[in-house]
Amino acid sequence: MLDDLPILSMIAFLPLVGALVLLLVPQGRARLIRGMALAFTFAPLLAAVALYIAYEPLLGGEAFAEKLTWLSVPLNMEAGLSANGATSYRLLFDYRMGVDGISLPLVLLTGVVASMAALASVQIRKRWKLYYVLFLLLQTGMYGVFLARDLTVFFIFFEMTLIPMFFLIGIWGYFSRENAAKRFLVYNGLGSAVMLLAFLMLIATAGFSIEQTASGAALSFSGSYDVLAANLADPNAAANLNGSMFLSDSLKGAAFALLVVAFGIKLPLFPFHTWMLKVHTEAAPPVVMIHSGILLKMGAYGLLRFGAFLLPDQLRAWAPALAALGVVNIVYGAVLACVQKEFKLMLAYSSISHMGIVLLGIAALNETGFEGAIYQSVSHGLISALLFLIVGTLYERTGTTRIDELGGLASALPFTSGILLTAGLASLGLPGLSGFVGEFLSFLGLFDSYPWLVAVGVLGLLFSAVYVLRGVLGMTYGALPDRFAGLRDVRFVEALPMIALTALIVLLGVYPSLLTDAMAHGFDGALKLLQSAAGR
Amino acid sequence: MDIVFSQVAWLAPLFPLTAFAVLTAMGRGLGKAGAIVATAASLLSFVLALLIAAERLGDSAEDYTGRIEWLRAGGVVLHAGYEVTNLTALMLVIVTLVALLVNVYSLSYMKDDERISVFFAYVALFTASMLGLVLADNLLTLYVCWELVGVCSFLLIGFWFRKPEARAAAKKAFVVTRIGDLGLLIAILLLYWNMPNHALDYTSLYNVFHSQSEALSDSLTTLIALLIFLGAVGKSGQFPLHVWLPDAMEGPTPISALIHAATMVAAGVYLVARTFDVFEASPNALTVVALVGAFTAIFAAAIGLAQNDIKRVLAYSTVSQLGYMMLALGSGAAAAAMFHLFTHAFFKALLFLAAGSVIHAVHTQDIREMGGLGRRMKLTAWTFGIGALALSGVPPLSGFWSKDAVLAAALEKSPWLFAVAVVTALFTALYMARLFFLVFTGSSRGEAVVYVHAKESPAAMTVPLVILAVLTVAAGFVWTPWNEWLPGWLAGSGAGEEEAGAGGWNGVVVAASVAASLLGLLLGWLVYGRKGAAVSAAAAKAPGLVRILERKFYIDELYDIAFVRPLAVLGRALHVFDEVVVDGAVRLVGRSVQAAGKLNTRLLSGQLQTYGLAALAGAVILIVAIAGRRFW
Amino acid sequence: MTMLGSYLTLAAVLFCLGLYGVLTKRNAIIVLLSIELMLSAVNLNLVAFAKYGINASLRGQVFSLFTMTVAAAEAAVGIAVLISLYRRRATVNVDEFNELRR
Repeated sequence: MLDDLPILSMIAFLPLVGALVLLLVPQGRARLIRGMALAFTFAPLLAAVALYIAYEPLLGGEAFAEKLTWLSVPLNMEAGLSANGATSYRLLFDYRMGVDGISLPLVLLTGVVASMAALASVQIRKRWKLYYVLFLLLQTGMYGVFLARDLTVFFIFFEMTLIPMFFLIGIWGYFSRENAAKRFLVYNGLGSAVMLLAFLMLIATAGFSIEQTASGAALSFSGSYDVLAANLADPNAAANLNGSMFLSDSLKGAAFALLVVAFGIKLPLFPFHTWMLKVHTEAAPPVVMIHSGILLKMGAYGLLRFGAFLLPDQLRAWAPALAALGVVNIVYGAVLACVQKEFKLMLAYSSISHMGIVLLGIAALNETGFEGAIYQSVSHGLISALLFLIVGTLYERTGTTRIDELGGLASALPFTSGILLTAGLASLGLPGLSGFVGEFLSFLGLFDSYPWLVAVGVLGLLFSAVYVLRGVLGMTYGALPDRFAGLRDVRFVEALPMIALTALIVLLGVYPSLLTDAMAHGFDGALKLLQSAAGR
Repeated sequence: MDIVFSQVAWLAPLFPLTAFAVLTAMGRGLGKAGAIVATAASLLSFVLALLIAAERLGDSAEDYTGRIEWLRAGGVVLHAGYEVTNLTALMLVIVTLVALLVNVYSLSYMKDDERISVFFAYVALFTASMLGLVLADNLLTLYVCWELVGVCSFLLIGFWFRKPEARAAAKKAFVVTRIGDLGLLIAILLLYWNMPNHALDYTSLYNVFHSQSEALSDSLTTLIALLIFLGAVGKSGQFPLHVWLPDAMEGPTPISALIHAATMVAAGVYLVARTFDVFEASPNALTVVALVGAFTAIFAAAIGLAQNDIKRVLAYSTVSQLGYMMLALGSGAAAAAMFHLFTHAFFKALLFLAAGSVIHAVHTQDIREMGGLGRRMKLTAWTFGIGALALSGVPPLSGFWSKDAVLAAALEKSPWLFAVAVVTALFTALYMARLFFLVFTGSSRGEAVVYVHAKESPAAMTVPLVILAVLTVAAGFVWTPWNEWLPGWLAGSGAGEEEAGAGGWNGVVVAASVAASLLGLLLGWLVYGRKGAAVSAAAAKAPGLVRILERKFYIDELYDIAFVRPLAVLGRALHVFDEVVVDGAVRLVGRSVQAAGKLNTRLLSGQLQTYGLAALAGAVILIVAIAGRRFW
Repeated sequence: MTMLGSYLTLAAVLFCLGLYGVLTKRNAIIVLLSIELMLSAVNLNLVAFAKYGINASLRGQVFSLFTMTVAAAEAAVGIAVLISLYRRRATVNVDEFNELRR
């Protein structure tokens, strides 16, 4: 059944359709707007689940791939290129979508977190319609980033997340929201510019493919992942095209460095992390759920996708530096999280720490590490979404999220406190909850190559216990201040996303094969490349 | 013999786990009904454990292993599995029995608490994870349960969450044990990459480390053994990670019994016994284990002499007894260690539950405010007395036999270790005598009203006491000089315990041990038991020494200065660094761009036509430049 | 081939006239008209190349149709802006419009 439907495009564009439909609904119909936004958020989630069920790890995502020529621009080339016998030249912008073991878990994550954030958006009190339109646009961007199979398409979707996010932070956030939104835009805009430069370098050189047509050979340049990967890995590629036009090793290194900066900002990598602190503290909780839950993972995904699959030599060369940076991220974030007085800021630093683990997994350069990186991404996405969901709930009731102003909430809000404790335990990597598996796999992967870095990195686990318990126990344990005595625990609507996220966290912790089986063989291509890179 | 029940051993942890799930899902409203569900689940587990043990009593019972695929790491599949050997069968019985008794006891002890069903849910999860830990057939599964045990003890220690002390104690327990856990984690990573086929199960460990194969170098083996031991040090409260255990007394008393007798702290000893093949391959690691154990034993016993909280005295005695077990392990006698773990489980559970009964009656834990309670609570006093005598090592109670086995092993390792162990035995007898005489004899030193109202606890609390007292008396006879059944049985399970232990009747050991315990008891009676003896007699004679002991050798303060404060200072320094340097650089870039922008606005008039002219001029220059290049 | 040169010359003259108007005229309406002149010059080029260029094809003519449409839209928007400006400022003198300064 699935074979007949363009399911990937459906996942990516259903929210866009929703946004367009929503524009036609009059502003006042709050219930209708909300209901429709929910419907158009859950629809792609259902499609993603169907995709997960239909997906066969052994076959990969071939059955679902979609390709459409979108724009074909003829080029006038200088005579130098005619050496390889081509008679016509063009720049191809293909619409290519695909799915594999790396993107599938992240697509699912996007569906889950976006749906839960949509449910949590009851907290939004103003300008509903615009909010949900932007929210749906953002979803299309996120799905597209993970499903794209062409650099141009990737870039367009990547940018598509930027603008809605800017407004979502700037309009519905807390006190200094506009400042936070500006920082977000400047940093990420910069990252996108750098990324575009790297993409153009790749497309214009390694993106070529030669087709034999009736009127002679046609040389076309495109950003297709497969074409790029094949050309970059092919030692004869330079000769096939034309020696002077192809990327030299130092240019490849430069492209990789640009990608590290671009995705490092997103991840965020020390020292590019300060924008993300502002966003975490100033944006509205449902927005932060998306931001911390999914947008940060786009950095990890990009690094893995373009590092391991396109530039394995460079990834190998950079691996020690990436691993070291990962450890810096882990320890730096964790130590700083230990002294924060504001819970949201503590969570932000803890995100930095956890994304460091993702980096370790990538730097491990083996299948275990890559799986760990993706697993940790998914798990951290769920956990941080849950934590920020709770933060929003608490803020609504108490008007503060400062650890020293709160206390004893377990008496007044037993359910929320219980979920908060569970989320905290998941965040500090308790086995049986999803956080552990990602950390374990990442450390396991990296241990093969850099045992000493792992030995330092596990300190982060110790610190994470310190700051999580300090924060969570500080807020929920102890005596309840009188002014919080009358607080009411969550309503059913608020409890629903909490229960769903907690259930998923437990499920992934108890039976990780659910995800690791889907990931199997997802990295085969990259591993082959890395091995041949090691051989050289 | 058929091993029907061993094949369904996975049900043992599943019963309490189901109880936990039910209780959590139904929420707080369940009240006492939840408590009964949890107790029933623990009863089922206990019955199953008994059946498993019973069918394994014969000679030829085979080990049974079952596993499922849990996680795929790279191309390697990591399993979750369980293995039933005689050792695990023994542990199953201990754990389920103590858990069952604690459940029954708590029905009465916790009956007025509004969160009683939460309490029972935690206890059920605690039992389930400990059973999982015991049954695990590989180190990864063990690690998962290991951490769960830690988090459950954290939850239960902090059960009375409104008390700031409980919060601090829970946090401390979790963080301190986590230090050890990280050691274990690294050991697992090391094993994963160095074992053939990345195997982590015990059978493979046995094959690799027992066959003197060259798969792992000696130094690597030692490193792995020490890292595993670090995990055990954290869990079993060995020096220098013992600090959490006494603080853990903030939890409800039945929990103290559970933690100290059967679950949390036993896990460390069990881990070392289970991975004993690794230790046996590394003599250096064994020596470290023995030294740490011996030092912890005497160190904690000394502190126990001067504590005034009834539960803290017992807590330090646990630390000290665990030291004994480690000493036995370090001396190469895993069976002796397991024997001591077995008997200790009964009498320590007994002592804690009896102490809980006392606390229930007088609502204080300070022994200086007790006294003369023996007349009001006869049953409690008798059972506590039996436990105290067993702990002191008085024959023929179970503690005597197991301590004897430990001492014999220590003597074989080194006379110095033996001497330390004997002195520890003396201390043990002394502080138990002090505790017993101060609490149960003499006249009341607390408020008269409390004393008058103090009465024997209800049957739900005293019946477990009696059962445990009977076991305390009887349990020792499974391994006596004329009956070497236990070590033989443990060894029969194959993996690891072949050289079961020293055994045999050693006159020196028996004499020394009996003399030490009797001398300790006598001293205790002289100082605290006689009529007119003052509570603070010792403190008056040697104030400095008692003060150091009372403050536990200032270890907590030392850690505060050495680790906690530096971390806080580092954190604040980095915070400033983050705000000023990292974010400052960002702001600097931002400001300079803004400044450049301001400067530029001066050049601009806002007149579109001027801009156009400038653009035209630029285009002309470009064209001239491009065109002109041809002529250069 | 010779025809191409004349078309291009005509287009260049048209373009320069338009450019001159855009840069010097004070009346905003005239400026808009001059812009149209420049666009026409471009269209002329497109059509000329479509007919006489190296890769002669219909594409250039189609493109010029697009340009015309866009130019019409652009003129409409421009005049709309101008009208609203006139309502606020009561002038169409471009020297008075320096909103970009702010």
